[in-house]
Amino acid sequence: MQNTTDAQATQEKDKEAILALPLDQRDDIIVCENVYKWFGNFCAVRDVSLNVKRGEVIVVFGPSGSGKSTFIRMINRLEQHQRGRIVVDGIEMSNDVRNLDAIRREVGMVFQQFNLFPHMTVLSNITLAPQRVRHIPREEAEAGAMQLLERVGIPEQARKYPAELSGGQQQRVAIARALAMRPEIMLFDEPTSALDPEMIKEVLDVMRELAATGMTMICVTHEMGFAREVADRMAFFDEGILIETGPPEQIFTNPTEERTKAFLNQIL
Amino acid sequence: MTTLSQRFGPAPPPPAFTVGVGGWLRANLFSSWISTLVTIVLATAIFFGALGGIRWLLFASDWAVITDRAPLYIVGTYPREYYWRPEVSLLLVSGLMGMAWRTWSGPARWFAVAFGAIIFVVALLPYSMPVLNRALLLAVPLAIGAGYGLFTFIRPGSRPKWFAITGGVSLILCLVIIAGVGFIPGLEPVNESEVGGLMLNLLLATFGIICSMPIGIALALGRRSRLPVVKIFCVAFIEIIRGVPLITLLFMSRHILPLTFPENMDVSLLYLSGITITLFSSAYMAENVRGGMAAVSPQQSQAAQALGLKQWQTTLFITLPQGLRNIIPAIVGQFISLFKDTSLVFIIGMIDLVEIGRAGLSGNIEFQDNGMEVYLFLALVFWVFTFSMAYISRRIERSLGVGRR
Repeated sequence: MQNTTDAQATQEKDKEAILALPLDQRDDIIVCENVYKWFGNFCAVRDVSLNVKRGEVIVVFGPSGSGKSTFIRMINRLEQHQRGRIVVDGIEMSNDVRNLDAIRREVGMVFQQFNLFPHMTVLSNITLAPQRVRHIPREEAEAGAMQLLERVGIPEQARKYPAELSGGQQQRVAIARALAMRPEIMLFDEPTSALDPEMIKEVLDVMRELAATGMTMICVTHEMGFAREVADRMAFFDEGILIETGPPEQIFTNPTEERTKAFLNQIL
Repeated sequence: MTTLSQRFGPAPPPPAFTVGVGGWLRANLFSSWISTLVTIVLATAIFFGALGGIRWLLFASDWAVITDRAPLYIVGTYPREYYWRPEVSLLLVSGLMGMAWRTWSGPARWFAVAFGAIIFVVALLPYSMPVLNRALLLAVPLAIGAGYGLFTFIRPGSRPKWFAITGGVSLILCLVIIAGVGFIPGLEPVNESEVGGLMLNLLLATFGIICSMPIGIALALGRRSRLPVVKIFCVAFIEIIRGVPLITLLFMSRHILPLTFPENMDVSLLYLSGITITLFSSAYMAENVRGGMAAVSPQQSQAAQALGLKQWQTTLFITLPQGLRNIIPAIVGQFISLFKDTSLVFIIGMIDLVEIGRAGLSGNIEFQDNGMEVYLFLALVFWVFTFSMAYISRRIERSLGVGRR
C-alpha cells in the first residue's frame, strides 16, 4: 500500500516536472502516423498524421461526416485503424489484447449521448470500472467517486439514476466516470452537441477546469469560444483528411487553407 | 416584482364534460353515435349474461363435484399416508413467503398474508383429516412468521441474495420430499403417476421457470457468441425445439428418449416431463433474451469498453441486465404459458389438475352433468396463479422502471 502511494507520488512529481516545460519540449503522448480507416469502400479517415504533446488540448472540428469522430475513436480502439500506426503513451496499438487493455486504462472517453448506464445509480456508474478493472475496493472507489462528483459540482446526485438528471448533469457524471479510471488522456466526442443551450456552459466549465490541471485532451467540438480560450492547437478535418492544424489565433484569423476559412465563415 | 400569475390571474377551468365522471363517460362510452350504439348493445348483452350467470350460480349449480373430491384436485392420487410430505413442502414455501415479506414488504406481504389466511381457513374446514395433517396445515402461518423472523437477522442489503439461495434450496427440497428418493428412509419414492393434481402443475411450472431462465440466458449468449461451434449448437437447439410442438416433445420424452438409456435405468416420468418442459421453455426464453439484448444500444457496450471493461464484464454488468429488464413482460408471459402448458402432461399419462377434473366427470355417473362447475373451477384456479404472476411482474417492472430510462 505504502509503495503504491510512493510510486504514485513520484509519478505525480514527474508529471508536474513535465507539465512545467513549454509544450514543444514535452514528449508526445499520442503518435499517429499515416492512419487510414475504411467503412466498406468508403474511406473515412485518410492518411492522418498527428502527434499530441503531454498536457496538450486539441480541438478537432470539421463538417459532419468528415471523419473527426472516427479519428478520435481510433485512439481508444473503438474503431480499428487499418493502415498506419498509432502509439498511445508508448503503447503500440495492435491486436494484442494486453496492449488494448493498457491503452483503454490510459484513455477516458466522453460521448455525445453521455451513454451512462441507465440501470445503475450515478455512484455505481462511476465506481463500476475502478472496481472491476482496477480492482479498487468498494469503499475507496466510492470515496474517489464522491470527490469527482464534488469536482464536477453535483455530489448531491450520487444516489440518483441517470434519467433523473438533466442533460448537463448527465454529461458531467460521464466526465467523472471517465476520470475515475485516472486516465492520462481524455477524448471528448461532441460532448455538448446533445445539450440544451443553458446546459452547455456547465459542461464546458468542467472541461476548462480539467484542461487547467494539465490533462491531455482531444475534443471534437464546435464550441469555438471554448476552442479559442482553451485549445493549444486546433485540427480541421474534411472528407477524412486532416486539412490543417494550428494554434487557435492562427486558425481563426489567418487559416492557411481556403476550405478551413469557408467552413469557419459558415459556423461563426 | 409581480409574478406571472399575479399579472394574468389564475388559469381558467377546463370546459364542461371534459374531466371527472361526466368527461370519462363521454370520452369512452358516448363519444359518437356509433360508440353510443355499441355501448347500449353491449350493456344489454352483459346485463342478460350476468343475470343468467347469477341465476345459475344461485339455483342450478352443484359444487359437490369439487368439494367431494378436493384432495384429488390438490394432490392427485398421492398416497394418503404420505400427505405429510406435500404439507412439509407447503411449510417450506410458506417460510419463503415470510422471507419475501421481510425482504420486499409491499405486495409480498399481502401475498403471504392472503396465502396464510386461506390455508388456515382450509385447515379448519370439517374434512376428516388425521390430526398430524391438520396440524401441519395449521402451522402454515407459523412457518410464514418463522421465515419473516429469520430474515430480520440478515442485513437488508443481502436479503435478496439469501432469498434466492434459500429459495433454490427449498424448492429442490420440495421436489425431493414429494417425489421421494430411494436412499433416504422415510422418503420412499412415490409412484410417478401418483404425483398429480395442482401439486403436479405447480411442481412442473416452478421447476421449469427456475431452470429455463438460466438455460435460456446461456443459449441466448451462445447464439451471440463468436465461436462457430457454440453458436451453431445454440441455434440448432433453439430452432429444433421451437419447431416442434410441446405435445410431440412430451411423447418423445416418454417413448423415444428411454430407448437411449441403459437397460435397467428407470427415469421417473415426473423428471422426464419436467426436463422436457424446461428445455421447451428455454428455447423460447433464449429468443426473448436475445431480443432484449439486441434492443440495448450498442453505445452502451462501447461506453463500457472505453472504460476498460472486458467483453464478458460488459455482457454481465451492462448488456444482460438491461436486456433482461427490457423483456420482463415477455419473460412473465413465457412463465404464464409454461404454467398453463403443464396441463399437457396428461398426454403421457400423468394426472394433473385438468385431468383430475376430466376424470371426475367421465368416471362418476353422478357428476356427469357438472362440467360447468368443474371447468369454471379449473379456470379460476389457473387464473388466480397466472394473474398473481402478471401482478408481480407489473410490480417488478414499476420498481425497476422508476427513473431508470
